[in-house]
Amino acid sequence: MIVLRAPEKTMTCAEFQEKLPELFESQAGLDGHDHLKSCENCAALVRDLEYIASQARLLLPIHDPGPAVWENIQQAIRQEPGPAVPGPRK
Amino acid sequence: MSLTAQKMPNRRLETPSHGTIAKERFVLMNAGPTQPRPANQHLRRNPPIAGEQEAIDNARNGDARAFETLYAMHKRRVYSLCLRMLGNVAEAEDLTQEAFLQLYRKIGTFRGDSAFSTWLHRLAVNVVLMHLRRKGLPQVSLEETLEPSQDDGPRKDIGARDLTLSGSIDRVTLERAIENLPPGYRLVFVLHDVEGYEHNEIAEMLDCSIGNSKSQLHKARMKLRDLLRTGQRKEQIA
Repeated sequence: MIVLRAPEKTMTCAEFQEKLPELFESQAGLDGHDHLKSCENCAALVRDLEYIASQARLLLPIHDPGPAVWENIQQAIRQEPGPAVPGPRK
Repeated sequence: MSLTAQKMPNRRLETPSHGTIAKERFVLMNAGPTQPRPANQHLRRNPPIAGEQEAIDNARNGDARAFETLYAMHKRRVYSLCLRMLGNVAEAEDLTQEAFLQLYRKIGTFRGDSAFSTWLHRLAVNVVLMHLRRKGLPQVSLEETLEPSQDDGPRKDIGARDLTLSGSIDRVTLERAIENLPPGYRLVFVLHDVEGYEHNEIAEMLDCSIGNSKSQLHKARMKLRDLLRTGQRKEQIA
């Protein structure tokens, strides 16, 4: 006689998400994780979090300080012991 | 379709090897960076800059023009770091100024064990953290970071398939969302995901446990996801 069994649910979504911070950091934490095979919601969450991290890595320094910053630095350095700095370039 | 099922290999800045450093020394007293270990895998973020070595050498010998050259080379990176960590233009400019003044005072201690940009970058991080410490650190670690609200806990409605981010974030949108993160989350997110510091380094910088750093990073990403999805919903409605 064949006995049919429902697939064993090893981890709830809440339990999986509790472990996510550690799973992200471990080398083999998320690849092929059992819960992700059966839970599309958590799989989508993981994809989104990975996507956010990957996009953050692409952010480049694009902001420039205003010109007053260098002027203030020059002014402060003039009052420092050590090398003098010339005035603003003409 | 969601993007990137790949793991998240953090590209790493070459950063100092700390050993055990008392927090007071690190955060409060020593705005200068410790000497990083030799340069290795971080060339993408620390490419050689033409003329930099000459400018460093000359600035160490008191050449004011050379120092100005170094400022021109690195002001964008230092200011962008300050701005992302603080989310405030005026403070970011003040601390950029402070970072370069620290550089002026400490450039003679740069031994060249690491890329200069990495060394300066760490100096700037320390300046920002000192500033936040002086302000009492409520912006860094308390409330929403150490005592997360129920909203930050596991949720069952996450990952609704109609609202996955799926490659839809542009840089401006992401920058804006990062600005809107609670300060404590923003700090850890910027240090780890944007700047590439390891959790052990962040834990040392912020005087928290490695587990706490991981936890805050995760909450920051979750919060960012919420912010980004909320933005998407608004766009869809509009």
